Amino acid sequence: MTERKPVEELTYKEASQELELTIRALESGEMELEESLESYTRGVELLKSLRARLADAEQKVSVLLKDADGGDVLEPAAAADTSDDLKI
Amino acid sequence: MSTWNLTGAPRSFSGARSRAQREAQGELPWERAGASAGDGGEGADGALSVSQAVALAAGALDALPTLTVIGEVTGFRGPNARSGHCYFQIKDDASAVDCIIWRGVYSKRTFDLRDGMQLQLTGNFNLYKATGRMSFVAKSFALAGEGMLRQQVAALAEKLRREGLMDAARKRPIPAFCTRVAVVTSLSGAVIDDVKRTLRRRNPLVELICVGSKVQGEGAPEELIEALARAAAIEPAPDCILLVRGGGSFEDLMTFNDERLARAVAACPVPVVTGIGHEPDNSICDMVGDRRCSTPTAAAESVAPAIGDLEDLLASREQRLAAATSHTVRSASARIDGWAQRIRSAMSTRLDRAAVELEAAARRPCLTSPRAIIEGRRMELAQTAERFAASTSSFDARRHMLDMAHERLTHGGAAITASRATGLAAQAAALDALSPLKVLARGYAIAYGPHGVATSVADAAPGDELRVRLADGDILGTVASVEPVAGA
Repeated sequence: MTERKPVEELTYKEASQELELTIRALESGEMELEESLESYTRGVELLKSLRARLADAEQKVSVLLKDADGGDVLEPAAAADTSDDLKI
Repeated sequence: MSTWNLTGAPRSFSGARSRAQREAQGELPWERAGASAGDGGEGADGALSVSQAVALAAGALDALPTLTVIGEVTGFRGPNARSGHCYFQIKDDASAVDCIIWRGVYSKRTFDLRDGMQLQLTGNFNLYKATGRMSFVAKSFALAGEGMLRQQVAALAEKLRREGLMDAARKRPIPAFCTRVAVVTSLSGAVIDDVKRTLRRRNPLVELICVGSKVQGEGAPEELIEALARAAAIEPAPDCILLVRGGGSFEDLMTFNDERLARAVAACPVPVVTGIGHEPDNSICDMVGDRRCSTPTAAAESVAPAIGDLEDLLASREQRLAAATSHTVRSASARIDGWAQRIRSAMSTRLDRAAVELEAAARRPCLTSPRAIIEGRRMELAQTAERFAASTSSFDARRHMLDMAHERLTHGGAAITASRATGLAAQAAALDALSPLKVLARGYAIAYGPHGVATSVADAAPGDELRVRLADGDILGTVASVEPVAGA
């Protein structure tokens, strides 16, 4: 079994893909029992991490701006306002 | 027909008039009228016949230069079934006029006419003398205003379609979950906020990079082209680019029908999702992009699954994970149970067979009753002994007989010899009595000549060896002479 990256180092997408592949491998039923238990443990870790990320997700917004030299730089920008207050 | 200058600038009637028309119609009516006024006229009171009046009017119309007229089509019923010519009206708010497009002209059209179209028609007025009806006869026509723009857009769309820029095979797949998305639009409008809000609500995991650009008016296509290039050059590259703009008039949205911008969208190295205007709006950028959405909000929603869906997906994966693992464990356990069963049954089969063999062995007589074997042997031995005894039972009788025979033989033999011994003794005595030795003893001798016992003198001759047996020995001598006994 190949060495796996720690779950927290994976992006959401990577973790999500690994979880799907892990489940498919388990579903194929071709794994050794020990290996499948290992995969299960890893899958549970991935699930937990993904859930936590969904719960804590905060929108990240940046704006592509030209700096003084005319090169493009990414400037952090405000996330969308989700308040329901009526703006006048 | 003669050719006409299309500028539509008013010119003098005489200049606009062709020689052919002058020849066909003779002198212009009003010239004639003017002339006749000088001449005193044709009619008594200067009145014209209908034909003259109509001809006058027709001539006046013919004298008009070629005109270009803009008007809305109305009463269009398609080309006449028999002639193929089109008869309808064009109008504006205040006026209307009959319009004719001859079959030959209509057959060269690039679009079908229908009511409500704004047309730009170029042609001349004509008066049909039989009815006095005036018509505008169009020698060419095209869509006017927005219609013309739409026509141009349609032509451009067709051109790009022919080039293959709209082929479904060209469209790149957009990841189901884009986590990094560039938004190319105006940063000052409500659209960028809509996109941000939509994605924040739907899926805050999507990172947004806003790239500002003018989206309408002069220079907008160029700015958008540059913004697309800048967005595509962001490191790391975004998963897709949202090219969006809020609703507007057809003219407002014309920016997105720009050929250069359309080509830039098609050539963009990052997949482009378009959301331009409102639902029914469709721009060329929409057609050449990789995914077309009807509004900016719809475009934003299309790039990532809703967070609720992700939660559902995670829940279903959790179930699958548990199900797959417990299935693996269950099947491993079932396999073990199976093996246990097989081991048990194999062992019990083996043991059963051993037990049967053992029982069979135990049932053998040597083990069940060892005494019986000895008994058997004893009986066999007894039988043998019996048979042996039986086989020697005649021996005693025979011995007795032998004993008897022996006795008889002994007795018989003795008897035989006894009697013979008696006889023999007598005979011996007799024999002894008769023995020549006894005779010799009494002085007799036996002479042996060369030929044995000599019983006659003839048996010996002088010189012969002669042996004379006496009772106690022999006398050897040589015959000296023979003397027979006279009278013998």
